[in-house]
Amino acid sequence: MTLNPRAGARRPSPVRAALLTLLFAVMSVPVYLLLVNSFKPRQDIQNSPFSLPFAGISLDHLSAAVQSPQYNVLKSYGFTLALVVAVDLLCVLFAGPAAYVIARSLKRRTQLLLLFFLAGTFIPASALVVPLIHVLRAIGLGNTVTGLILHDVAMTLPVSIFLFVGFIRTVPRDIDRAAAIDGAGRLRTYWQVIFPLTRPAVITVLILNSIGIWNDFISPQILLSPGSGTYTVTTAVYAGISQYSTDMTKVFPNLLLAVAPVIVFFVHMQRHIISGLTVGALKG
Amino acid sequence: MVGLAGLSADSVRVAARSPGSDRSTPGGRRRRLREAALSAGMLAPAVLVYTVMTVVPVVVALYLSLTDWNGFSSAAFVGLDNYARLFDDPDTARAGVVTVIVACFGSVGMLGLGLVYALQLKERNWANSFFRTLAYYPHVISSLILGFLWSAILGTNGAINNSLADLGVGPVGFLFDENLAVITLVGVVVWAGFGFNVVLFVAGLQTVPRELVEAAQIDGASRRQINRRIVIPMIAPVVTVAMVLDLVGLIKVYDIVVSLTGGGPAGATETIAYVILTQSFAGTDVGFATAQAVGLMVACAALSVAVTALRNRQDRAAAS
Repeated sequence: MTLNPRAGARRPSPVRAALLTLLFAVMSVPVYLLLVNSFKPRQDIQNSPFSLPFAGISLDHLSAAVQSPQYNVLKSYGFTLALVVAVDLLCVLFAGPAAYVIARSLKRRTQLLLLFFLAGTFIPASALVVPLIHVLRAIGLGNTVTGLILHDVAMTLPVSIFLFVGFIRTVPRDIDRAAAIDGAGRLRTYWQVIFPLTRPAVITVLILNSIGIWNDFISPQILLSPGSGTYTVTTAVYAGISQYSTDMTKVFPNLLLAVAPVIVFFVHMQRHIISGLTVGALKG
Repeated sequence: MVGLAGLSADSVRVAARSPGSDRSTPGGRRRRLREAALSAGMLAPAVLVYTVMTVVPVVVALYLSLTDWNGFSSAAFVGLDNYARLFDDPDTARAGVVTVIVACFGSVGMLGLGLVYALQLKERNWANSFFRTLAYYPHVISSLILGFLWSAILGTNGAINNSLADLGVGPVGFLFDENLAVITLVGVVVWAGFGFNVVLFVAGLQTVPRELVEAAQIDGASRRQINRRIVIPMIAPVVTVAMVLDLVGLIKVYDIVVSLTGGGPAGATETIAYVILTQSFAGTDVGFATAQAVGLMVACAALSVAVTALRNRQDRAAAS
């Protein structure tokens, strides 16, 4: 079995060792710095940023960040989570039935709808929000959370519909016919029979959208003015750091608070997330 | 699945009792009409939200970009003046150059490192899986946060310059030297993005048939020859997909500029999206701002279409 490629991998070449050491250093140092400096007093961040907090772990700055009355990252978790849930729900609620009709239709016109939605993937949010704000004002949704939610839903619809259509097409039509003969209407057929069968696609869509919305900065920053007092995690961090930019005792704890939930979620759901994001990117 | 099996068994029985019930009954036509109405109803919410939130703004942008609207008074039609100004305006021109530099060098860096590490990490074992995750994690974190983190590390008052000061080395202008700042921006963008390519390429590499590699080994090919002549050509389609994703992702880069450099020093790292959202958007020159936005949309669409067409041609050439 000397031809087995694994045999070659047993003795790591010096090139491989060097590459992996470099990778480890470059990828882990930022996180290490973030961690240790969130627990250090100001003097130590200044004088020995790379050392472990030997001089005594200080929870002062972290608790100050947790209790901060202004731009509180911890408090923004709630709003961000609510936003993610609302967008996820509406997206699945709207994309699912639409994808079902598109996937099952034999008419060309309906098939063209898929292209209509796919065109949306080419439009960057950074360009779209410029005219969008005028449209939102015109329909009375300027500077409202409803406007933000609807915009986020519209941004997530194209890829979601595309993934759903692809998956629904793999479900045999006989199942639809069986449900129809049993007296289920199309809507009921979708939600009770097809939707449960497309669970993998639903999970992919939920992961893709949730991470996207949680991390989104442009839409909440532009569509919710700072005066609204409503902050997502990203806009809270931004507003805070714009104010105390050089005070590292505030920067590090706030960044740690912003990163912590994502890292915990990622570590727990790593497999799903990586495959979900890969599938989403490849097909979208 | 149990419920599903029960359902189909039931329906088989019903179907056997009344064959072709759908078409032959007098109510069939009315029922098909109702079905059509229901289909339209199922499409409506998605079409409506998407139209109002995406299609209408694009149309509005196309219209406003042809006017001199200032956001308040009535707009006058100015033809393509705003688009002509895109090329004259020094800020836009510089931002365009920066954007192209970031997109090109960033993509090359992400693809190159992605390929190098994918070849190292393609075998399935726990160590490789650990390193892949390590390369990948920035992809799930907001790039705004990543930019702030790196600016806390590389800034004048950052971790690296503070440590260098102890050694008596003057501060390095990672973020405040005009040329170095652009290089730093590219570096951080590559750092944040190459791990995604590693995962994509590893998925591609795992589909390369083992027999092909073994045959080459028997013929005495070196590992390098195998990679260059067999493995990389076979994953070319995946590389093209990654290239589109990287280029389109970087041409609209904004968050990381905001947090890493704030466009500075002296506007040296401003990208197109940054100029649109921080300057034009805040100002009253709505016509010009929307012209910039339309320009960015067209660039993104053209890039995606061009590279995808290229890829289709390659695929067809490979297939024939």
